[in-house]
This record gives sequence, structure tokens and C-alpha cells, in this order.
Amino acid sequence: MTEQEFINLYKHNLDKIFRFIYLRVDKVETAEDLTAQAFLKVWQRQIPVIASDEALPAGRQESPVISNPTAFIYRVARNQIIDFYRQKKKVPISLEELKEKGIDLPQKSFLSQIELSFEMENLKKALQRIKPAYSEVIIWHYVDDLSTKEISQILNKNENSVRVLLHRALETLKKELNKKV
Amino acid sequence: MTEKELLEQLNELKSIKPNEDWANWLLSNILTKSHQTVMIKPRVKLVSFSFLHQYQKALVSVALVVLFVSTFAFAQTALPGNPLYPIKTLTQNARIALAPKDYKPVIRMQIAKNRLEDMAKITDQEQVIALMSQNIQKDLQTIPQELKNISKKQVALQMSKQVQNEAKDLKNLSNNSLNKNINNLNQNIDEFQDKVFAFIFSTEEEINQCPTSLQDKLVNLQKYLTDNVQTLVQWPIDDITKVRTFLGDIENDLKAGNCLEAMAKIESINQILQIHSLDIKVETSTPEN
Repeated sequence: MTEQEFINLYKHNLDKIFRFIYLRVDKVETAEDLTAQAFLKVWQRQIPVIASDEALPAGRQESPVISNPTAFIYRVARNQIIDFYRQKKKVPISLEELKEKGIDLPQKSFLSQIELSFEMENLKKALQRIKPAYSEVIIWHYVDDLSTKEISQILNKNENSVRVLLHRALETLKKELNKKV
Repeated sequence: MTEKELLEQLNELKSIKPNEDWANWLLSNILTKSHQTVMIKPRVKLVSFSFLHQYQKALVSVALVVLFVSTFAFAQTALPGNPLYPIKTLTQNARIALAPKDYKPVIRMQIAKNRLEDMAKITDQEQVIALMSQNIQKDLQTIPQELKNISKKQVALQMSKQVQNEAKDLKNLSNNSLNKNINNLNQNIDEFQDKVFAFIFSTEEEINQCPTSLQDKLVNLQKYLTDNVQTLVQWPIDDITKVRTFLGDIENDLKAGNCLEAMAKIESINQILQIHSLDIKVETSTPEN
């Protein structure tokens, strides 16, 4: 992945990835850290980007390539969230650990705050209460506008399964919100 | 809530965006990081030994302990002149320091014997031999005093006999040594054997004549304490209490017929008096006698 390809990927996906992570965790700071780690991983892995219809160059048949950068970054972000909750059960991520992973903490504060209305906050909490697999597909499809085809690429499932999953997820979220009301 | 309302609310979540300054900072920060050369590094190494990182502190501690122990183990076979020999000497001194008070003379004697054995194996280092010989002589001077400081006469007798046996071995080693510079040492060993023999003899005599010799010691002690009341006033209260307690115990031991126990307590009082440099004139058998 060239620097320009990465910048394009970053600019095109940062908001979505941040939002996807933010809706799955409690704090803005956590969302920022996990987003940073996700993009850093993509940059450091240096996997070449190949258009899906492009033929693989000679000698690249065995090596990993990114045919769908958006799906790839979502998969990385998803793994970051899973790792985060796994780590949280043991010990919180320390500042030193972040530094070891290559994230230099900013010297100045960015005063990152996100004001959510009461309904939005309720919705976020409800998304966190339902199964992670449900909240993921809801965010991807209804918030980030990913098509069922793109979601199927992220999850390595067929489109029909994704549609069924989406239907169940939406029903579950509706019940969860009504339960609270 | 209807599905339509829910979809509208979900749509509003699109307004969530990260801080723009942070986003710019993050991009520039990431781009400064060099690409990780993942394909060059063997993957198996990353997977197999990644767990070592979390045990880093424990592993370093274990490695240090292993290094420490193995250095000490190797040092035990070192000879004078070897860089590891000072460690061996250090270990020997530690053995003496850590030994129980009553066993110190025997341990010191065994170590003196070991040092003479080491000395016998080297012939070309005169300075080292002379220094070692001096150290052994110092040990031989210390041992009789240590035997004398053993409070219980029976234990002192037992230890003295063990020292006597070790001294015989020491004498044989010294006689068989090819080193020409240990004539002084030979002479010292002879004197040492005489002192130990004299101590054994006098201790046996004291044990055999316990009630009589004990009475003599008590009379002398009483006289001394009476004559030196002014000096005793300057003692710390703890030491005076100790002496009083010992005297009370001696009385009880005599009533119970435990003569040797009472004798041991007299020796303890004697040591307290020596600490205060009063040089009590209570008759005690010493190797010098």
C-alpha cells in the first residue's frame, strides 16, 4: 500500500471506523485509541491493495493482498474491539502499552467530546446491550450505509445470511428499546 | 417504537464524527511510522516466543539466579590464583559466619583444612601461599577462644574432640606438603594441638569435679561482684538483669543437682563480665592454661 493509497483509505473510512468503534465502547478516548491502532495496523502491515477484478502479479499468488480495503479496515477494527474487551477483562490498556504499539500520545488535548441527545444515548446503550454480531450489522448497514454485499465480504458470509442477520438484529434492537421505554 | 422511528434515529447517528484536529494529528503520526517488515521476520518466531514478553521480569530474575548459583558452584573447584577463588573464600567465610556459635570452631577447622589442601596444589605462587598460610594461622588462633566461649561444658568437650581430629588431618597435610614456606604454619599447628589438648583435659576435669569446681567459681564470683559494686552500677540495666536471672537459675540448678547446667550459666555470666572488660577473676579453664 502506497502512502497515497493509505491517505485515501484513511480519509474515506476514518469517520465510519471511528463511529463504528465509538458505538461499541463507552468513551471517546477509547474509540480514538482503537481507531488509531486499527489504522496503524493497516499501515504497518503493508499489504498491497489490488482491485478485485485485477489479476495478481507474478509471485503474488501466495502473498496476502487487499482486494477490498474498506472491508479489510472494518475487519481490523472489529478485531480491535474484540481484543479491547478481552484485555479489559484482564487489565486495562496502559499508556506504556499504547506506546509499545507505536501510538505516541498527543501532547495537547483535542477536547474530543461527542454530545448525544437523550434518545441517541439510549440507542447507543441499546446497541451495546444486544449481541455484538447484531449491533455490528446494524451500524454497518443503517449508519455507515454499507451494502449487504460489503457486509458479506467483511463477515465472509453470503448475502442472504447477512439479510437474515440484519432482520433479526433490527427486531432485537426494537425490542430492546421498547423494553426500556 | 416503530421501525421507521428506529431507522430515523439510526440515521442520526451518522452525525458522530471524530475531532478534526485529532484526525489530522493521527494521520501525520501514522505516516511517520516505518513499515513493519513482517514478511522478513520469521512468523514462527513471533508466534512461538511472543509469550516470553509477559514473563520478561521473571525470566530475567531466573537467569540471574542461575548465573549466580552456577558461578558459586564453579568457584568451589577453583584454586588460589583463579579469578573465581575469592568467591570460594567468600563462601567459606559465609559458612563460618552463618554457623551456630557452638559449631563455629569445627567449621572453621574444616575450612582451614580445605584451604591447606588448596595450598598444597599450588607451588609456584609464593605470595599467595604466604598469605594463605597467614590466614590459616589466624584461624588456628581464633579456634581455642571460640571453644572457650561455648557455655555448656559437655558441648565444648565434644566440639574440642572434633577439632582435635581435624587438627590431626591438618598436621598430616602440612607434613606432606611440598611447600617450603610453611615451617611457621607447622609450628603453629603443633602449638594449636597442645592448646586443644589442654582445653580437653581441663574441661573433662571440670566436668568430673563439677560440684567442687562450681562452688569455687561461685565463691570467686560473689567476691568479685562484692568488690566491684561501684563498677556494676554503671552497667546497662539489661545486663544486670541477665546476671541476676543467671544467678537465680544457678541456684535452682544446684538444688536440682544439674551441676553442668549451672556451670554453663557461670560461663555465660563470665562472658558478660568480659564484655564489660572487667576480666573477672573467676577461675575458668582456658586452652592457654
